[in-house]
Amino acid sequence: MTTFGQLVLSGLLIGGIYALMSMGLTLIFGVLRVVNFAHGEFLMVAMYGVWAMTALLGLNPYVAILAVVPAMFVFGALIHRLTIATGVDKPHLVLVFATMGLSILMQNVALMLFSADLFDVPPMFGGRSIAIGPLFFRVELLLGFLIAVLATLGLRWVIRSTYLGKAIRATVQDREAAMLMGVPVPHIFLVTFAGGSALIGLAACVMMPLFSVFPTVGLNFVLIAFVIVVLGGMGSIEGALLGGICIGIVQAVSSYYVAPAFGQMFFFIVFLLVMIFRPAGLFGRKGEAMVGIN
Amino acid sequence: MTALLEVSNLSCAFGALKAVDEVSFSVREGELLGLIGPNGAGKSTVYNLIAGAIKPTSGRIVYKGRVITGWKPFEAARSGVARTFQIPKPYGLLSVIDNVALSALLHDVTVAAARETAEAVITDVGLADVMEAPVSILTVGQLKRLEVARALALRPNLILFDEIMAGLTRPEVMSMTELVASLPSRGMTVVWVEHVLYAIMQAAPRIMVLDRGRVLADGIPEEVARDPAVIKAYLGEEMSLA
Amino acid sequence: MPERGSISLFEVVLFGVCLTLVAVPVPHFYQDVMIVTFIWAGVALAWNIAGGYVGLISFGHAAFFAIGAYTSTILGVRYGVTPWIGIWIGALLAAALGTTLALIGARLRGPFFILSTLAAAEVVRIAALNWTSLTGGAEGIWIAPVPNAVNMVFASRTTYVAVMLGYVAAVYAIAKTLEGSRYGLRMFAVRDDEDAASAAGVNPLLVRAGAMTISAFLTAIGGSLFAQYFQYLDPTHVASPELSFQFALLPALGGLGTAIGPLLGSFIIMPVSELLRSYLGAVFQGLHLAIFGGFLIVVMLYFPDGLAGALKRLGLGRSKGPP
Repeated sequence: MTTFGQLVLSGLLIGGIYALMSMGLTLIFGVLRVVNFAHGEFLMVAMYGVWAMTALLGLNPYVAILAVVPAMFVFGALIHRLTIATGVDKPHLVLVFATMGLSILMQNVALMLFSADLFDVPPMFGGRSIAIGPLFFRVELLLGFLIAVLATLGLRWVIRSTYLGKAIRATVQDREAAMLMGVPVPHIFLVTFAGGSALIGLAACVMMPLFSVFPTVGLNFVLIAFVIVVLGGMGSIEGALLGGICIGIVQAVSSYYVAPAFGQMFFFIVFLLVMIFRPAGLFGRKGEAMVGIN
Repeated sequence: MTALLEVSNLSCAFGALKAVDEVSFSVREGELLGLIGPNGAGKSTVYNLIAGAIKPTSGRIVYKGRVITGWKPFEAARSGVARTFQIPKPYGLLSVIDNVALSALLHDVTVAAARETAEAVITDVGLADVMEAPVSILTVGQLKRLEVARALALRPNLILFDEIMAGLTRPEVMSMTELVASLPSRGMTVVWVEHVLYAIMQAAPRIMVLDRGRVLADGIPEEVARDPAVIKAYLGEEMSLA
Repeated sequence: MPERGSISLFEVVLFGVCLTLVAVPVPHFYQDVMIVTFIWAGVALAWNIAGGYVGLISFGHAAFFAIGAYTSTILGVRYGVTPWIGIWIGALLAAALGTTLALIGARLRGPFFILSTLAAAEVVRIAALNWTSLTGGAEGIWIAPVPNAVNMVFASRTTYVAVMLGYVAAVYAIAKTLEGSRYGLRMFAVRDDEDAASAAGVNPLLVRAGAMTISAFLTAIGGSLFAQYFQYLDPTHVASPELSFQFALLPALGGLGTAIGPLLGSFIIMPVSELLRSYLGAVFQGLHLAIFGGFLIVVMLYFPDGLAGALKRLGLGRSKGPP
């Protein structure tokens, strides 16, 4: 029973971190109606950034947050200006393939710059674990989860209590009406995309102590992120957190009781089941999956 | 003449909004029924209900003696019910003739035969000069006529027109009105929603008025135009309509 | 210039050129390039039947490719069933999966549908990776390189090139026929406006399912043929997401919605990609793909009709209207 409890709880913690990784994606989905297939590569770029801060400047990943998050914001804004903004009003397949091209480009630039080797940051807490009752948790996992929850709360606050948040919500519901009401929609797009990238940066800082980075690391995580976003409902922050936690637990439990690789398969099956029975996800708007994006 | 279409106590609510509220009417075979009413009266919703695009929350629709409430749009088409869309929905990447040929495929076996049918119908509605053009270059008026052509190409028994005059010039309105008025003699039953009142009030022998989801009046144009409730619904004060 | 519903001089000449390349002695390396190009072109054409004609964009076609490859290979290597038959069995299995996916995704549109194809393909890949008793897992399966016509192993590369050309020509013929038929017109209508098509008597679900089924069937054949040529298969080579992306990219670059588009895309991109890889790959690993990625971004943002569309706009043919 303790094993089960341990699995559930560590699944929950990693799930929170997965959720943080997916938050940017769900925001971008919800506001821009864009599937960013390069989402995983943004994560990869940020992770290399964290590694660089650690290896070259000797910072620890959590301190690197101060540098990586703003840098990713700028990076996201740049990419948006150069590519996404052009495609936003075109049929959705344009950006689907364009972001895929972006993904290929980024992966291979990383390959050229860093080679295919795995890079890590040195363990900071000496690999220690903290005991909570009969269960043990790695410090990095706990810290990561904490940061994820704080970020979620912070994001919720912005969405609910600031003008920016209102503007974002308006754009999500009806971008044309929002425009007519004076919401600078193209500006909102830029801020959302850049903000989503910043969130990925935060996730990267928290994930580097737990995972290695290599050029194709993005692919694995982006699939997880897609599943979480769909499960939680596009555009829903709370949904992403809940979805992430569900996925983390499902993966941890099924990996142990069935087989590690099948753990991966399980959440794709979960995904397909969600698609069949409740495509809009836990917190998404009903019927959204049937209308699609445009 | 028997009732081709019979609508009984039809209601459709979107949450708390009753778009269609206990609407009942019947249409005889070969009739030309005009359907008017202020914006938001529920006219397009009634069409969507009859054509199967949405399901009613209550009520019954009987067509050709069969209860068809809640059927699918393609079943409606295959049973001889054609409709136009108020906001035209052309096949954006196809040409004008292909747009119409698709409808003709319901009865024609080969693409070539369908295109022949399409050609005739397109000429009927006055779009012959843009026959092979991509629909992306059409004006709103032309798109509306394309809607009419697509519906006609289905060779329907019952045809539901949804504001097909918008964007047409006066002469174009007159020729389109002539076309619509000629349809019953070609074996079709017509229900016609329209905002261009001078056209419909002249051509339709029977007018039904819808307001806020309810049937307000149902009779010959002269009577309907004088009905105080109708005048109030449209203009909010005592004023003449025609 | 190719038009819908009729064969143009361009297509005849193109086929002639391909035939010549098959018949004429060509260095092994280029024959390898041709083989892969023809197979990938065939799959691109098959993908396009669902993705370009009906708008069912899939990032999971590697699943069908893999099912084809594994089925014919396992039946051949383990049970002695000749690939000439095994190919069809694989194709039928893949077709069944295609139909299932279409039914699962009946209500899904846009990225939701795309993601479900991705998920399904990953399930297939992970199953292939872990069902070691059946598929050999990560180690894969080898086909003995003993030339034997019954086992579809050929001594001469030229024979392989000919077979692959036959494959792509057949798929092209099917795509072209579909394009000009009543089913083709219905597919385009469902793609462009499902509600209007439905109001005109078309059953969208049947159209979607039919397209996916045909697409899966034809893709699987490509997978089987690839296995017979490469004589080795493992999940990375036949079931990876990267493969799925390639199968989608080639039609997108060449031009969705036409038969010639995926063909043009493949015939240009595949050889260029292979050549770039051999020249630049050694020097800067990944450079050729980076260029490819950048190229894709530019094309999709500024020439969404792809190569075929751009050529048409340059007026290289009678403007008879859009496909």
